Amino acid sequence: MINSLYIAWRYLVFNKVRSATLIACITLIAFLPMALQLILEESQQLLQSRANSTPLLLGARGSALDLVMNSLYFDDEVPEIISMQAADEITDTGLAYVIPLYIRFQARNKPIVGTSIDYFDFRNLQIAQGRMLAVLGESVIGAGVAEEYGLAPGDSIVSSPDTLFDLAGAYPLKMTVAGILERSHTPDDQAVFVDLKTAWVIEGLGHGHEDLSRTRDSSVILNRSEDSVTANAKLFQYTEITEENMEGFHFHGDASIYPLTALLAIPDDAKAATLLRGRYLENQQYHIVRPTEVIQGLMENIFRIKRVIDAVIAIVGLATVLAIALVFSLSVRLRQRELTTIFKLGCSRMTAVKLIAAEIVIIVLAAGIICAGLLYIVDANVETLVRMFILN
Amino acid sequence: MNAKFWQIIVSILLVVSFTASADEKLSVYAVNYPLAYFAERIGGSSVNVVLPVPADIDPAFWEPDASVIAEFQQADLILLNGAGYAKWLKHASLPRRKLVNTSAAFQRDYISVEQTVTHQHGPGGDHSHAGTAFTTWLDFNQARMQAKAILSVLENQRPRHADTFIQNYTLLEKDLVSLDQTLSAIVAQDSNKPFIASHPVYQYLARRYNINMKSVMWEPEIMPQQNQWDALQQLLATHSAGWMIWEGQPDKQSATRLEELDINSLVFSPCANTPEEGDFISVMKNNIREIEKAFR
Repeated sequence: MINSLYIAWRYLVFNKVRSATLIACITLIAFLPMALQLILEESQQLLQSRANSTPLLLGARGSALDLVMNSLYFDDEVPEIISMQAADEITDTGLAYVIPLYIRFQARNKPIVGTSIDYFDFRNLQIAQGRMLAVLGESVIGAGVAEEYGLAPGDSIVSSPDTLFDLAGAYPLKMTVAGILERSHTPDDQAVFVDLKTAWVIEGLGHGHEDLSRTRDSSVILNRSEDSVTANAKLFQYTEITEENMEGFHFHGDASIYPLTALLAIPDDAKAATLLRGRYLENQQYHIVRPTEVIQGLMENIFRIKRVIDAVIAIVGLATVLAIALVFSLSVRLRQRELTTIFKLGCSRMTAVKLIAAEIVIIVLAAGIICAGLLYIVDANVETLVRMFILN
Repeated sequence: MNAKFWQIIVSILLVVSFTASADEKLSVYAVNYPLAYFAERIGGSSVNVVLPVPADIDPAFWEPDASVIAEFQQADLILLNGAGYAKWLKHASLPRRKLVNTSAAFQRDYISVEQTVTHQHGPGGDHSHAGTAFTTWLDFNQARMQAKAILSVLENQRPRHADTFIQNYTLLEKDLVSLDQTLSAIVAQDSNKPFIASHPVYQYLARRYNINMKSVMWEPEIMPQQNQWDALQQLLATHSAGWMIWEGQPDKQSATRLEELDINSLVFSPCANTPEEGDFISVMKNNIREIEKAFR
């Protein structure tokens, strides 16, 4: 057998292109379905574990998938906006406590998650460096963000403008990095967390400026009466919240109408969860979803598509195997003279069979090794691939 | 026998550890002294109440640093006064779940502060920074409701000690009702009697007890400027008060000059921070004795 393998090896090396092509075909046919399975299993695990740890999500009536993807995985697609009043309504029921979310803006292509401190306890996120958010204008960043941009506590990160064409709109806000989270291997690693009020400042609902009742620059004043001062657009609004100007930051209007993208609702128990869901069944404005159900539905769809893809790959694979068989069969015909020479040298028919078999074994083995290597690389980077191709 | 012995030991240890953890003191942070006092009275040995405001600072305007905010974040409960009390709350990041607005039950009855300058810019229209009067506890009935809110949240947190909390609350309620009734009776003798408040912090007191009161903006330790004296004179023309209510002992010169205008001084301490002597109830009893002077 060793002799057959040696001769088969020499033959294959001599016919490099043909050998490489055969190895590549078999590798692809074996690698594709297995890699797909790996990626989908990992994505299912990532999506499902995150969804399982989130009892209920409240958002505007509409796409449950958009709501879940934005709230849990910080997807770019922003769901319809709801208001703080929804948070107060749920709190008033006494059935659950809520964690408000406002995930709309970005800082250097990383999502800014406006929320309350409760979020960190809920997700069991710990501070690795620095400290937790304390005041307006501070941020806490995920380990991935810190690593990618080389940020440390005390550095700054600036919010990206919502649009380049709104010259009179909200200014970017420079936020101090108060702390960096420990790596959690979740989407939280790639997020910039701020207090909800800071997110509203980015929105433009809160701002800081000089005291208009005491300003010496009359050119910013449009109108002044005994109890009211009107300023014009020249009024400079601070783009950074510091200890010196923090007291000047304020919010206009009724806080109950301030925007949110979603609410995480954590009910006291299963009965409270059922009661809460029941209250919102007929609600025209909001709906409550169970992320685990939404993700299960998504995964079922994905795996349904995967089954179709698997079927297609199987058919293509069968065609490839038939093509390879045809190649070998044609190869045997083309090598008739060579095989005749082997017989004349005294070898039996079995030797010829062994030679062909050895070639097949080597090709399949080589393809197998390459496939294993590629699968190892995919497995090592599967989390990144899932985030790149599925979550983003 | 060995296995059974160890099973018993482990069971005992589990029960002891469970009991110990269930009895662990609740860490309660308050934004002012009245709430801290109520929490201590009601919670007793089940709570560890902290008021981190330095003794010489008005808690309403205190600005804690990041380390103190971190302490608040770690507390089991954070007692808020509501009505916009404690300006630092607007800029601080605190866990919503632990916040207790003790005046939520009567927030519709908050008093708006008048004479505030509004400002406007951008498309949002006219906006006001109108304040809200925040010394809610000076209405002893409201103080009782705030104490009740604290009772409610402590019962939720430590249901095993609910009976003790209720007993403690009942005693506190008795004290607050007594203060309420005593002050009502005193003022009822002459409800039109005019008073001047040295500082606009007695809105709820005036409303609850029908005290005919107008405010100026003076500080006890600072001699007012001439324009402030002139403004007082103008006020006296339509509101001929014979008494001025101070938050603390007034400057001697101020008191003397007021006497020249036939205005006597009395001290009604809002007791927003920990008193040097006594406690909330003793300070309020003292306040009531002071105000009684005006009705003799």
